[in-house]
Amino acid sequence: MNYLKILNEKEKKKIESELDEQFGIKKIPGIILKKGEERLFLFSGNLTINEIHQLEKTIPIERVGIYFAKIQNGELRLSIEGIESLKNQITKNTFEISTEQVEEWMRGSELLIKTGLKGFLAITHKGDFLGCGKASAEKIGNYIPKSRRLKERTSM
Amino acid sequence: MKQKHNYEPKPLFVERMKLLLDEDEDFKNYMNSLKTIPPKSIRCNTLKISPEELKKRLEKKGWKINQPFKKYPEIMILGSQLLPGELGRSLEHQLGYYYIQEIVSMIPIIALNPKPNETILDLCAAPGSKTSQICTLMNNTGTIIANELSIGRIKILANNLERCGVKNAIITKKEGVAFCNRLKKENFLFDKILVDAPCSGEGTLRSAPKTYKMWNIKTVKAVSRLQKNLAEKSFELLKPNGILVYSTCTHSPEENEEIVDYLLKEFKKKIKIEKIDLPKEFVTRTGIAKWEEKKYLNEVKLSKRIYPHDNDTGGFFLAKFRRIE
Repeated sequence: MNYLKILNEKEKKKIESELDEQFGIKKIPGIILKKGEERLFLFSGNLTINEIHQLEKTIPIERVGIYFAKIQNGELRLSIEGIESLKNQITKNTFEISTEQVEEWMRGSELLIKTGLKGFLAITHKGDFLGCGKASAEKIGNYIPKSRRLKERTSM
Repeated sequence: MKQKHNYEPKPLFVERMKLLLDEDEDFKNYMNSLKTIPPKSIRCNTLKISPEELKKRLEKKGWKINQPFKKYPEIMILGSQLLPGELGRSLEHQLGYYYIQEIVSMIPIIALNPKPNETILDLCAAPGSKTSQICTLMNNTGTIIANELSIGRIKILANNLERCGVKNAIITKKEGVAFCNRLKKENFLFDKILVDAPCSGEGTLRSAPKTYKMWNIKTVKAVSRLQKNLAEKSFELLKPNGILVYSTCTHSPEENEEIVDYLLKEFKKKIKIEKIDLPKEFVTRTGIAKWEEKKYLNEVKLSKRIYPHDNDTGGFFLAKFRRIE
């Protein structure tokens, strides 16, 4: 990592409070690390903060844990794995899409749906959590990363 | 399914394999197996879904799923013919519910037997199939350090771990021997270590026929020196009673038994080669005790050789050691 900042308790609480407001998520299990100004990583391993810092001094670290959220225009947006990791705590702002919409969504397209909701949503389909979308008046914006999108000739 | 390529094995390679498989029928079966593609296999990612649920979902697509090992239901073989690339294009794959992995490449982790809360090193980690398999058995607890030298391969490793929901991994970028030297200085030790060493890849001929063209004896000898260094230096990072599994996807004794013999002679009373417990349905052969002019220690026979025609897989080699102190 170019810049490995481990969030302290106060900073972590702030993230938890935002996620509580968005999705009802109360607790993030593990250490949160920040890379650059935007990307947050979640580490569930048992190394202490001091041990991670010590390791960082010894060996170039490329990544710690999972990319779980991005700070975007002052808002927190969970990644597809962020949603998946914390799905058991999500109690609100979920949106179930149809079987037909799953392929469109997983190809990275925005969905032209009026949800009546605003802001970030956890997109679901029959128990699968399909990442985070942003609802506006007319559509749901799509944040499925390229590496996770379905390619042509999908089998579902 | 038959292979479609124009590569021919080099005469020296054939000669060496004939020495390893000295019974005519055995050698013939081996050569015939190289003309076919092994069945596709996947590993259910139990961090995200149970084997029963995944099997049900995949069978709904019309895929035939076999689970060859009773004790390891997460290991699945595709019994039906899929379209090219179909396995990697499914929703279940993109959601990280399974990893496309050759069965033979899952075997070293069964030997390593990772447990929750352990500290584990995967020294040559990319593309991440074995790392993610380790993490499922650790249930995202403990810590795994996944090291890799190439930045391109680190990206693939990171993507694969991400897709599988691996949260207990730290990815580092360092040449393997230098990595070990640095951590040794800091007295950073591990419960278990996997050295899935870079090798000449003779065991991958069925799935990667280009290996026919790339194979040469100089590579075998050169890579053997690197493997000795990696195995030796990483062994020094084991905690007392810690376990190291050394594996390659090749058959050359210079890259296999010779490394095992080297470690046993180098560390003498500090090392013990262990018996490896694998699924009883899986056929393996013992390591060899002699190759060309070299005679290896008798314990080297506790290593396992895996030939493609024994299980309709790729080829592999593995050995398991314990640090005694």
